[in-house]
Amino acid sequence: MRFMVIVKATKDSEAGILPTEKLLTDMGKYNEELAKAGIMLAGDGLQPSSKGARVRFSGSKRTVVDGPFAETKELVAGFWIWKVKSKEEAIEWVKRCPNPMPGDSEIEIRQLFEAEDFGEQFTPELQAQAERTYSQVSARK
Amino acid sequence: MRFMVIVKGSGDCASGPAPDEKFMARMRAYNEALEQAGVMIGVERLQPVSKGVRVSLSGTKPTVIDGPFPETKELVGGFWLWEVGSLDEAIEWVKRCPYLPGHGGEIEIRQVLEPDGFGPALTRQAREHGQHQRAQAGGRK
Repeated sequence: MRFMVIVKATKDSEAGILPTEKLLTDMGKYNEELAKAGIMLAGDGLQPSSKGARVRFSGSKRTVVDGPFAETKELVAGFWIWKVKSKEEAIEWVKRCPNPMPGDSEIEIRQLFEAEDFGEQFTPELQAQAERTYSQVSARK
Repeated sequence: MRFMVIVKGSGDCASGPAPDEKFMARMRAYNEALEQAGVMIGVERLQPVSKGVRVSLSGTKPTVIDGPFPETKELVGGFWLWEVGSLDEAIEWVKRCPYLPGHGGEIEIRQVLEPDGFGPALTRQAREHGQHQRAQAGGRK
């Protein structure tokens, strides 16, 4: 099973405050453990939402809204993609994660869809396309 | 520059009609256009949030909260990773995305933090380690 593990934003991450050298070192060690255990498929941090934008869809209309966005706690600050045997295993790994923020922080664990979850309507042609693109973001094996 | 392009939503299709074959074909064509333009790094869809959990890392003891979570509009329903020249280019691509009313009327575009963005706190060792992990994660440029 693959999971997306989302580090939620905080006031600090949205202000563009970068991690200290100690946190980067601790996080580097943690990432190394994830890699050694064969769990880590991908991982990235995001710039504050002030460098982003949103596009709203309504009928044929497309409206662009520039960041920053107000819902700080709901924004994504970073993510990993992990391959583990169960949600419980993902939770155990998250509990061992160095606190990624100077203050309180929250990490969300969400299961990813796999090709087989889509059933018969997921034709071999669609699967081939998905394999091509999915495998680039996170090799499945 | 890499961007994470986030489709908002709970992953629960109950809020609108199920995507029909026509919509799926349009989405397939869109993904193919992204691939052909060399923009697409990857794409993933998340399972409904009712299957997810959140881990709160504050103080010394992590707390686990089971989904679903109330902020339906702000949750991640799926995402792409793209390689484009600018935020404006990402916005233009998003405007072309097929839209099915009732399914996530908002797409958020967020810049991915490249190793250089961490500044001097990221030691050379950590930087090289990060590059190694990224290479493992999926042959990015």
